[in-house]
Amino acid sequence: MASFALSVNGKKVTVEAEPDMPLLWVLRDLIQLHGTKYGCGVGVCGACVVHLDDDPVRSCMVGVQAVGNRKITTIEGLSTDGSHPVQKAWIAENVPQCGYCQPGQIMEAAALLKKTPRPSRDEIREAMAEHYCRCGTYPRILKAIERAAGVKK
Amino acid sequence: MRNVPADTQSDRTSGRGEEVRLNEDGVVDWLDLQEEDFAFGAKGGATLSRRDVLRITALAGTGLVLGLCLPVRVHGENGLAWTAPFEPNAWVRVDPDNWVTITAGRPDMGQGVRTSLAMIVADELDADWSRVRIVQAPADMARFGNQGTGGSMSVRSSFGPLRRAGATARAMLVSAAASQWGVAPGSLRVERGVVYDDAGKRKATFGQLAVAASKVAVPEADAVPLKTPDRFTIIGKATPSVDLNAMVTGAAVFGADAAPKEARHAVLARPPKFRGSLKSFDDSAAKKVPGVRQVVASGNGVAVVADHTWAALAGRDALEIVWDDGPHANLNSEAISKQLRAAIPELPPVQAAKVVEAVYEVPYLAHATMEPMNCTVHVQGDRARVWVPTQNPGNVQNTVANVLGIPAANVEVNITLLGGGFGRRISADYAAEAARIAKDVEGPIQLQWSRDDDMRHDNFRPASIHVFRGGVDTSGKPIAWHQRFALASGRDQAMSERGPASQARNRYGIEGTTEAALVGLPIATGPWRSVNETQIVFANECFFDELCVAGGKDPVAMRLEMLGMDRLKAVVRLAAEKSGWGTPMKKGQGRGIACFAGYGSFIAQVCEVEVTDGEVKVLRVVAAIDCGLAINPLGVEQQVEGASIDGLSTALKAAITIENGQIRQTSFSDYGWFEMADTPVIEVHRIVGGEEPGGMGEVGFPAMSPAVANAIFAATGKRLRKLPIRRVPE
Ligand code: FES
Ligand code: FES
Repeated sequence: MASFALSVNGKKVTVEAEPDMPLLWVLRDLIQLHGTKYGCGVGVCGACVVHLDDDPVRSCMVGVQAVGNRKITTIEGLSTDGSHPVQKAWIAENVPQCGYCQPGQIMEAAALLKKTPRPSRDEIREAMAEHYCRCGTYPRILKAIERAAGVKK
Repeated sequence: MRNVPADTQSDRTSGRGEEVRLNEDGVVDWLDLQEEDFAFGAKGGATLSRRDVLRITALAGTGLVLGLCLPVRVHGENGLAWTAPFEPNAWVRVDPDNWVTITAGRPDMGQGVRTSLAMIVADELDADWSRVRIVQAPADMARFGNQGTGGSMSVRSSFGPLRRAGATARAMLVSAAASQWGVAPGSLRVERGVVYDDAGKRKATFGQLAVAASKVAVPEADAVPLKTPDRFTIIGKATPSVDLNAMVTGAAVFGADAAPKEARHAVLARPPKFRGSLKSFDDSAAKKVPGVRQVVASGNGVAVVADHTWAALAGRDALEIVWDDGPHANLNSEAISKQLRAAIPELPPVQAAKVVEAVYEVPYLAHATMEPMNCTVHVQGDRARVWVPTQNPGNVQNTVANVLGIPAANVEVNITLLGGGFGRRISADYAAEAARIAKDVEGPIQLQWSRDDDMRHDNFRPASIHVFRGGVDTSGKPIAWHQRFALASGRDQAMSERGPASQARNRYGIEGTTEAALVGLPIATGPWRSVNETQIVFANECFFDELCVAGGKDPVAMRLEMLGMDRLKAVVRLAAEKSGWGTPMKKGQGRGIACFAGYGSFIAQVCEVEVTDGEVKVLRVVAAIDCGLAINPLGVEQQVEGASIDGLSTALKAAITIENGQIRQTSFSDYGWFEMADTPVIEVHRIVGGEEPGGMGEVGFPAMSPAVANAIFAATGKRLRKLPIRRVPE
């Protein structure tokens, strides 16, 4: 057991945890931030994506120790009120069905647009690979990302 | 080493043990479901009088509260039947703060049912849509009956009563305003939650009238006119989901998010092999994992209870368990195929100019909902509280009561949002497990299934084999169609054959016989989006394509000639037209069509594919749907898109396979599912009109896989009859 000082959505949080405890469970079970979802725990589904600084990571695959002093942003911290351009585009395209995969999809898309503000379709598909949505919202996710990027198709 | 007490072992009747027995009591078993079970209003509803389902009463309160009795499905002496509950199971409330609140006992599973139900009430009420909210009622079997959402019946069964409730509330608000102002109710106008007296230049909001309206006598149902469809202002408008904002901000509460903060986290080690059982286990290493609090033999497995999920998972990994592998330790997919094939008798001979024979096969499928199964239970003496994502709250209530040996009335079931349902969450097996663990633990526990658990301990869509013999006459017209199929069944007693299977008869009026056999296997099965239509429609719609090819006929023209249902013909025509059916495609490309009618809706899907070096790329899907009155066209589009992707995924990628008595797949990557890069453009065209809503949850699925397989044939000349088609062989 060790103590880790984390920056989560701009707030300082200290947690007691085993160094290899995945960030996903630290967020969900230790600090009760439930927006980040568990889908597989083995890095293949994308439901758990958060940002470390500007990088999208699968939080089920990152031990809390490996976070270091990078800033953690979860879906709850992307905006306080759903006003991030990606969230707005998600609402405009009415993307979610059950909604469970969406925090991960949104966080991945937000990270993509930060690095590549006007991605090509192939760049979008590549970034969104292994982001499963069992409800099949992919066509709307694609449209929402292009809308957020201001790309008209 | 700890030995498991004998009585724990003996209460297992199978690998899923007690759940199997519980299922018989509480779960809607797919084998007994026929389409009419879902079609309230068609047959099931006929036994209910209009008075029963439209019973509306005003309840005392600080505002206007109307209770209504939505028809429910309950188990009775003759199996499942529609009935009207004695007490209200849904409420429409107008509060002085000017909010309209609809409380309903129907859980959502992504079909936007919550949104649709609210839209129906709000429209007849002429409410301000931005001041309407929908709240989930906790489960209470006695009062609400079976609140399940299965078979697309939610909106269909509630449509009439909800409209009536909205219209009644509106009439009472108007009547309150009229008596306040001393004018005739007929002279008033209602718009967006405000009652206007144009002549007297007066107006009042619903909120201002709520208390007065609650004192107005409830008008007779017949005295309140309903709108004609041309006057709908909310029904039929594309309306974003009521949960949209919560879903994009991470605020939406799913099962695993709903547990009380102090809940402990549990995972369960289950026998890996079908009908295996627990022999003994050593938990000394598991107990050393930091955060692990308790290890308990629970039912047929071992539960690890910890401060957080990670510790519980790590603790489970550290368990040393000796399993009894049971009698099916060597079962594999090939043996199952053989068993299914062996259950199919010889087909009758066919006299025809050309005889066509074919064998189709589909695998088991997991539901693989994005949110793995989970359930939180807090046992407090002879009471229990439950937080659960379920499609069937009443079943959870009974199941938990059963496990704990307490009255169902003492079990409070709080329904959360569902991270996908697709039929999986009709069963309450995971709630039974959680209750069994909670019995032995102080305080609330949250049972979490890992993805691996979820993939391997599902109630699977049954594997099946379909054998056809048919033929065409000298003009090329199909004239004979015999089919026999065998479906895997996870029920012990389902060993026997069933007679003629009316559900599977071809829709083309072609003469012939249809019989089905159920083959009992130790692998649990259950309803999967569109139930057994998933297998039957694939085989039937492909075989019809084969007959068309044998007769040299165009599959669209032949459908239009032979289909008995006008609405089905109309969607075939529309899909063909919108897809440019008959226009040339490049070499290696092809177009296929299939259609389906069910759940009160009609659909045709045209699929375009390109096959390069055996790789199948889906280029485009053109769907034409007639779902009668579309409450929310946006929801209809989403359902068709989603179900089409399900259909494509199961046609081209997904399979559950059995090896050494267990499920081989552990996650999405080895199961196989569409990703964004696989997904084609999906166009949804809708036939507008109709007075009654058709079901939307399942209808987009069944015809999709045959449309792809038919397209692959058109592109390559290869008829692939076994799903999934991961590659086209050279
Ligand atoms: S939960 Fe992390 S990728 Fe699936
Ligand atoms: S919206 Fe349900 S899994 Fe993506």
